Amino acid sequence: MRQLVLKNLSKTYPNNVKALDDVSIEIKSGMFGLLGPNGAGKSSLMRTIATLQEADSGSIFFDDLNVLDNTKEFRQNLGYLPQEFGVYPRITAEQLLDHIATLKGISIKNERKELVEYLLQKVNLYDKKNKNVKGFSGGMKQRIGIAQSLIGDPKVLIVDEPTAGLDPGERNRFYDLLSDVGEDVIVILSTHIVDDVRELCTQMAIMNFGQIVFSGAPDDGINSLKGRVFEKQISKSELDSYKESHQVISNKLIAGKPVIHVLNDKIPDKSFKKIEPSLEDVFFTNIQKNNQ
Amino acid sequence: MFKNFFLSELRYSFRQPMLYLFFLIVFLLVFAANVTDNVSIGGAIGNVFRNAPNIITIYSLIMTIFGLLFATAFFNNSALRDHKNNFQEILFSKPIDKFGYFMGKFLASLFLSTVPLTGVFFGIILGSKVAPLMGWIEADRFGPFFIETFINNYFIFILPNMFIGGAIIYSLAQEYKNTMISFVGAMLIIVGYSIAGELVSDIDNEKIASLVDTFGIRTYSITSKYYTPLEKNTLNPSLSGLILYNRLLWVGFAAIILFASYTRFSFTTKKSKKSKKNKSDLNKVILSVPKKAPKVQVFKNSALLHFKSFFKLNMNSIYKHVTFKILFVFSIIQLIAGLATGFEYFGLKSYPLTYFMVDQVNGSSSLFILIILVFFSGELVWRDRDVQVNEVIDSTPHSTLIPLFSKTLSLFSLSVVIHLVLILIAIIYQLISGFTQIEFSLYVKDYIYNMFPIYFTMCAALVAIQVIVNNKYIGYMVSVIVLLGFDIILLILDVNSNMLSLGSTPYMIYSDLNGFGPSNTGVFWFSLYWILFSLLLLSLSGLIWNRGVKKSFKERLNSINSNTSKTYSIIVSSIGVLFILTASFVYYNTQILNSYKSSDRYEELAVSYEKYYKKYKNLPFPKIIEAKYNIDIFPKKKMADVLAYLTLTNNKEKPIDSILLNVNKQWDLSFEFPNATIISKNEDHGVHFYRIDPPMLPGDTLILEIKNKYETKGFSNGGETTSIVKNGSFLNNFEILPNIGYDSSKEIGDKNKRKKLGLPPKERMPKLEVDCGVNCDKNYLTQGFSDYINVESIISTSIEQTAIAPGSLIRKWEENNRAYFEYRLDHPSQNFYSFISAEYEIAKREWNDVDIEIYYDAKHSVNIDMMLDAVERSLNYYTENFGPYYHKQARVIEFPRFSTFAQAFPGTMPYSESFGFIIDLEDEEDNNVIDAVIAHEMAHQWWAHQLVGANMQGGTLMSEAFSEYSSLMTLKNIAKTPMKMREFLKYDHDRYLRGRSGELEKELPLYKVENQQYIHYGKGSVILYALQDYIGEDKVNSAMKEFLEKYRYKTPYPTSLNFLEILEPKIPDSLNYLIDDWFKEITLYDNRLKTAFAKKLDNGKYEVSIEIEAFKIKADSVGNEKKVSLNEWIDIGVFSDSDEENLIHQQRVNINDSLMRFTMIVDSLPAKAAIDPRHILIDRVFSDNTKPVSFN
Repeated sequence: MRQLVLKNLSKTYPNNVKALDDVSIEIKSGMFGLLGPNGAGKSSLMRTIATLQEADSGSIFFDDLNVLDNTKEFRQNLGYLPQEFGVYPRITAEQLLDHIATLKGISIKNERKELVEYLLQKVNLYDKKNKNVKGFSGGMKQRIGIAQSLIGDPKVLIVDEPTAGLDPGERNRFYDLLSDVGEDVIVILSTHIVDDVRELCTQMAIMNFGQIVFSGAPDDGINSLKGRVFEKQISKSELDSYKESHQVISNKLIAGKPVIHVLNDKIPDKSFKKIEPSLEDVFFTNIQKNNQ
Repeated sequence: MFKNFFLSELRYSFRQPMLYLFFLIVFLLVFAANVTDNVSIGGAIGNVFRNAPNIITIYSLIMTIFGLLFATAFFNNSALRDHKNNFQEILFSKPIDKFGYFMGKFLASLFLSTVPLTGVFFGIILGSKVAPLMGWIEADRFGPFFIETFINNYFIFILPNMFIGGAIIYSLAQEYKNTMISFVGAMLIIVGYSIAGELVSDIDNEKIASLVDTFGIRTYSITSKYYTPLEKNTLNPSLSGLILYNRLLWVGFAAIILFASYTRFSFTTKKSKKSKKNKSDLNKVILSVPKKAPKVQVFKNSALLHFKSFFKLNMNSIYKHVTFKILFVFSIIQLIAGLATGFEYFGLKSYPLTYFMVDQVNGSSSLFILIILVFFSGELVWRDRDVQVNEVIDSTPHSTLIPLFSKTLSLFSLSVVIHLVLILIAIIYQLISGFTQIEFSLYVKDYIYNMFPIYFTMCAALVAIQVIVNNKYIGYMVSVIVLLGFDIILLILDVNSNMLSLGSTPYMIYSDLNGFGPSNTGVFWFSLYWILFSLLLLSLSGLIWNRGVKKSFKERLNSINSNTSKTYSIIVSSIGVLFILTASFVYYNTQILNSYKSSDRYEELAVSYEKYYKKYKNLPFPKIIEAKYNIDIFPKKKMADVLAYLTLTNNKEKPIDSILLNVNKQWDLSFEFPNATIISKNEDHGVHFYRIDPPMLPGDTLILEIKNKYETKGFSNGGETTSIVKNGSFLNNFEILPNIGYDSSKEIGDKNKRKKLGLPPKERMPKLEVDCGVNCDKNYLTQGFSDYINVESIISTSIEQTAIAPGSLIRKWEENNRAYFEYRLDHPSQNFYSFISAEYEIAKREWNDVDIEIYYDAKHSVNIDMMLDAVERSLNYYTENFGPYYHKQARVIEFPRFSTFAQAFPGTMPYSESFGFIIDLEDEEDNNVIDAVIAHEMAHQWWAHQLVGANMQGGTLMSEAFSEYSSLMTLKNIAKTPMKMREFLKYDHDRYLRGRSGELEKELPLYKVENQQYIHYGKGSVILYALQDYIGEDKVNSAMKEFLEKYRYKTPYPTSLNFLEILEPKIPDSLNYLIDDWFKEITLYDNRLKTAFAKKLDNGKYEVSIEIEAFKIKADSVGNEKKVSLNEWIDIGVFSDSDEENLIHQQRVNINDSLMRFTMIVDSLPAKAAIDPRHILIDRVFSDNTKPVSFN
């Protein structure tokens, strides 16, 4: 069992935005989901772990390795797929993967070739290996992205919003790939799609305004809300008054009419229906706490 | 619709700063050039007004080159703006009309890009008002304005040029949607311009050059090449002749391009094809079961492999880059154009020696390589971030410095690759030309010496700039400022150290005689200095390399520690230490050991020299009557030791009690002058003042002992002397001895500059007078310091070299492992001679009692026999026609190509290696430059060395014009056809007419020439040649012979009037007018053939009837012309071929009316008729003198 321990990480940008605000968290082997609204600091946190951005204060330990002081050693163990994965123009898929494999220390040419071919097969792009990556579709590029992040058997794999812009089929294939990585690997997956976390992750955290507002297993989060979430369909005009009188954690339209979820220790009144809490409720509950 | 797009485009641009900025740039440049002498475009000097139509036209034309940049900005932006803002899909879905959109934007951009160029007009107009008001420039330097100047320039040049440039740029932009490609397209026009530049180097190509030049710049300069100052002041460019054809050609070409682009233009976006293909890819999902991941070993230290991988990836990507490909092709075109069209003189080419190839390669690649380096420095440094792959790459475990150095090396390899390919082309060219002495090692050495340091320095510095600035576009700006702007700043600050201008080194040139020199030491140290500088800058910039997300400068400074290892710090500090040591050494050598003055300081010194010492102008000085030299040349050390004994006599009527000496600071002078004591010494001016006590009385003679030593110490900023070198030292007596008396050649010459500095107008040559008195005691060469003297020399050099001094070799010996030579003049000669030392092969031939000797480099044997022939031919002709040769030897001596000339000293003629020894004369039909030059220098042995003009107007007629005439006569004797001489004379005509067009002071008639080269060489040879054609070769020669006999080796010296006195009686009365017309006045002819008809006669002959128009024009010194009445004898003739090679009929007719008809009967079929068919007379437009004959 490996672990990544983040302690008191803080980072303030020159424009005074607090990207990371005293973040402390322990991440163990397995899939770790990082949820948060846009601008919550997910990418900043991922980049900080990926040694691409320095924190103002705090520490990161990978087992016994001080990551921030030993970036090179940590990078040996790192696989990273950024949110926006671009590719060099005029370079083929094979050339690109070969280059990254070289940088990751796979120095023997034949081994490298074999590995690159294996990965291309795995992401189903073997027949495109001599094509310029620049001309690939978003999904194909993302597959190249995951292929490169898997090079060199990383012990820590960081994937930042990997499924944005993928169609459902592609998204499923992508998660299949992710779930194939070894058990002993720490996979950090940031997303704003709650279901992704529910389906894949054994641990998770929710971020807002640079802070960790929840961390633990998804089930723990759901269990903590058990029996406290109620649902009601209302009309649009009523929404504001409900918001004032109840702790509305979410509202969404179902068939054109708002359906609100309310957090309460007991059923507010008969018109509400008690429901099984979902991870989404956990998410909104924690975000709201933090917003107040 | 059209109006909408047109106006909205204008509205948009008028709200942007770009338009005003461009206008301001042009305005300020032109304004500055107009009101000061420090900034110059083209140049308005001498008698031409600063606002003359010619000047305004030149400014407008040059500014249209800048205008390309504006055009690129406007046309490209206009074509791409909607595309860039992703607006096109919205816009194009609206029902807009294609013509309105396409042409509206085009025409608006066309108008906009001409707006900044009107800054030329405003700059000139305002400058001409402000400058006199502020006292910057005298009011009389400005003349009237003509409204046509502005209108014609706008519609003939500015608007069409922007249309041509715009059509190309706009079409490219519509096609490729890529700014860089548009920019590169604009450069195509510059290539056209520079190819035209190569073409104009020979007059035969002028017509093609006029057409090829896209912007009509050469076209105008060719059209106006014979303009006199007056014409420059009054004539406006007009749409006729070559200019019209050029404009039609290129505007037509541009219109076709634009039309093609218009038809291709479509509102639907192009990507459709591609995305369709991708979709089909997506649908085809292959589910393959991947095998198990292969086992791989992971290595922790594979820096070299990382480096290689980065490098490979960079190169891969650049080679496929379209900008790279286009620029690469351009440099190849430029090279091929240079190789194919670069003529040298008289339409001849040199053998394609490797050093010429190297010059061509360097010349045609440097600009493009520079652009490539600047462009790709930004591309490479920013590529990862631009394509957003940086986070992936940066998170891999490579060392931070590896991408930095691999990018630098990739950039550098680009320059190497381009250079190698160009070298390969040059070698192929050599082989195609049948030239097999290819010096591969020279290609390599030159690259290492000259190109490697500068390219390496630039690559490293440009990458460092991008890294430090950390913003691509500001980085480009800083790069351009460092490369170009910095030099301008230094120029303004009057600082000219090579240590401050990126990559600069002292002057160096390769010569077959001397190898790389003369500054190889300096070049080495400066190169080292720059390489270390750029390495230091690069490795320091590596410390703040932005890895990961974009960081502020402070953050990057904070990350210095994480980017450095201990080894790296050691390496950087060692580079730093080495750099400081080298910089100190270079500084010591160039600023302390060999200090130099700035150009402003030189000017100041010239002014104060004139102020302080002019009063000694008439200080009497003793005359040199004999000279003995002991000269030791040390070629390896670049040292010379001179011991001279000059016998001086006081030939004046007064005692001489003081003497002023001008000492060359580079020489270490010591001096033994009996009875002389030094009274003052001015180190700045190098003036030593001696008192002689007791004074030298009239008739006294004494011997002056001078020790003078030249030592090369270390190296200097500007480069070492070219006089004393490894192989090919070449010194003349003025250089090795101090000058006596006030030296007026140190004065500032430019008349406008003198006016500005408050100096009186420079004294001109003494006027030509019949009773010339004391002025005839001096000749213009030695200025009265000596007449004809005896010279003896003992000269030594290193053992393998031959040293040459004037006169016969008396003995030759070896001592202390050095070679010694003793020479003595066989006849007293002018005090004007050279000392030369190099390793020579010697070719000899006996001619009567004279040894003909050619001293040449072993590699240059190809033309030696021709040279021997030329010397012999000259000796034959001149001894027969003019008189005896007084030396026992005639030597032609090769010297390194630091300069390109040949010069005649008594019995010896140094001749530059690049000018004859290596010229390709295998085609006997061509003009033979060796025959011409050698005959000219040989003629000087009579004209200049036996007889030389007094120091007054007309002096050079008897040396330069006579020599050029003599040379033409030897050529005429071997010419196979009468038309051959026209080929030669054409260059003399051109030289004269161009020369008078560029005259800064005033044009004088031939007999009053004031050392003006275009008059004594150009006009002198044409007039004397014409004279012998009119009165007979024997008559002219006998006059010259008589003249020579009267004045040979005698004082007082003769004037041109003395010659005319002898010439005049030999001219028949009917031609008496020629003396006035040709010698005493400035006369031009304007002849043309109006019509030419022929018909076959019954007897099988042909009758050719022609109508001719003829004018005789008299010009004054600034080009005011007036037509005068005619009573001339002029040739008319008929050619049987259209190439004008076969003149089948010629007769001289009297022309006394400007319109006349003549009839000629010829035996065979006529092709062309002509007036003055052999081009004897000076006629600015000769091409209209001939016309094809039409039959009726």
